[in-house]
Amino acid sequence: MMTKTSMIALVLLIFMGFFPMFVDSAWLAVGTTFLVFSVVAFSQDIILGRAGVFHMGHALFFGLGAYTTAILNVQFGWPILATWAPSVLIPMVCAFLLAGPIIHLKGDYLLVATIGFNIIFIQILENDVFGLTGGPNGIFGIDIVRLFGIQFASQTYMYYMAFILLGITLFIMRNLDKSKFGRAMFYINKDEIAAQSMGISIRYYKLYAFILGAGIAGAAGSMFSVQYSAVSPEAFNVTQSIMFFTIVLVGGSASLPGVLIGTFIMFVLPEVFREFATARYLVFGLAMILTMILRPRGIWPVKFGNIPSFLKKDVK
Amino acid sequence: MSEYILEIKHVSKYFHGLVAINDLSMKVKKGQIYGIIGPNGAGKTTLFNCITGIYTPEEGQILWKGKEIKGTTPFKIAELGILRTFQTIRLFAEMSVAENIMSGRHIKSKQKWYNGIIHTPAYYKDEKENWEKVGELMDFFNLSEYATIPAGDLSYGIQRRIEMARALAAEPELLILDEPAAGLNENETLELTQTILKIQAMGVTIMMIEHDMEMVMSLTEYITVINFGARISAGLPAFVQDDPVVVEAYIGSDEEDEHE
Repeated sequence: MMTKTSMIALVLLIFMGFFPMFVDSAWLAVGTTFLVFSVVAFSQDIILGRAGVFHMGHALFFGLGAYTTAILNVQFGWPILATWAPSVLIPMVCAFLLAGPIIHLKGDYLLVATIGFNIIFIQILENDVFGLTGGPNGIFGIDIVRLFGIQFASQTYMYYMAFILLGITLFIMRNLDKSKFGRAMFYINKDEIAAQSMGISIRYYKLYAFILGAGIAGAAGSMFSVQYSAVSPEAFNVTQSIMFFTIVLVGGSASLPGVLIGTFIMFVLPEVFREFATARYLVFGLAMILTMILRPRGIWPVKFGNIPSFLKKDVK
Repeated sequence: MSEYILEIKHVSKYFHGLVAINDLSMKVKKGQIYGIIGPNGAGKTTLFNCITGIYTPEEGQILWKGKEIKGTTPFKIAELGILRTFQTIRLFAEMSVAENIMSGRHIKSKQKWYNGIIHTPAYYKDEKENWEKVGELMDFFNLSEYATIPAGDLSYGIQRRIEMARALAAEPELLILDEPAAGLNENETLELTQTILKIQAMGVTIMMIEHDMEMVMSLTEYITVINFGARISAGLPAFVQDDPVVVEAYIGSDEEDEHE
């Protein structure tokens, strides 16, 4: 028997799968970006929603993935496919190096430190360090994916590549939540002292969350750079980081549907109401405030108690 | 190896120059139920925090099976087989009872780092075994009917049982109980006494702080009495009970005990 949630998920999956057939190219691009931003939001949710680390510099890892693909392709002539592995691995290594020294910091202190990393990252990009990043204008002319002579150039291809990337991300999220790693993150999030006393290393699991989240964000970044065939610093600044942070809290920390709703509200709705120009942001600011007051755990809060059915036999 | 599983030798702990534990020594035998009593603020919980690595004492030694463990981080202490409960219950309140107990299986789980991303046959076997163990513990503590309920929504007495089940899930050699009967009614206390005896029968050594004198006297095999961070008396329950020093320390502080 299917639960209500998995029915909704199935309907959504079918809708998303057929979406490119009903819409024009502008909306298709919005759809693709929604998928890519969902992936980034999920990766932020591993760090913020699961491990409970107040990380407000996530655009850094998203940008690292995007710039890795852009630099290797444009400056060094690598095919896009060959840049996929480095665009995941480089953010992971950076996450380890950057988060390592600050991971012991408490919530607000760590938040400030991660914002600091993000600001430095933008400075590096804008100052065209080693002549690789293209300065404030970024890098143009990023290639498309080519495989066996097929050119994945159209927006429809882009959409389905992003669709598959989101599928892989959801697969990882589900596996994480059903493993001792995902659970350890929740225990740390809820009570660090109790978690430690049960033999859980706070440092190990927070770093695990950071590195995994950075890798997934990097993959999304690579996809993002190919979709727009360009990258520039402002797409990865602190404002973007704040948006990913907000998506998770507004949608619902550690809730898969919640994060999708959060991404939809924070990213797709502004596109829908484009004709209202910047006035629309007033509505979103209010929506963020109201959500935090009325539903502090998010629009679709996470539900715990996902345990094997043989343990539920005595539950009334 | 000596018959003592845990030896505390001349341990002192200071906070901002004030002494919280003063030259304290004790030895716990394997399989024993060891009691620690004393007025409020005597340093009993501080001692437990020193043993479990939350605090590092400035002086003295803490020996676990003859090896120094002073200064070891809390998660490594748990890996050594020393598990605890808290005076103020610390459960993962939003998570279900079963998930709370599952946290005790963390150190016993053999999942590899990549199992957080991709599952393997070994993962499924490990996961099933650990959930089955959680099922056994829920049966043992009469918690099965609450398996899916958030731990924070349950009554005080049930929460105390969850906390013990969680600690026991890690298959400890030493179980440290910080006021396990606090807030329990008479029936629940009686039930708890039976449970503690059953846990001892499994071969687990138990150290407990408790204010319920009836319970302490009936359960423990050896007692150390602490006041102002120092040992004022130690011995068999019958001896400690009649020790004039102990009686004096408790006069006038009995009423405050209720408010901790």
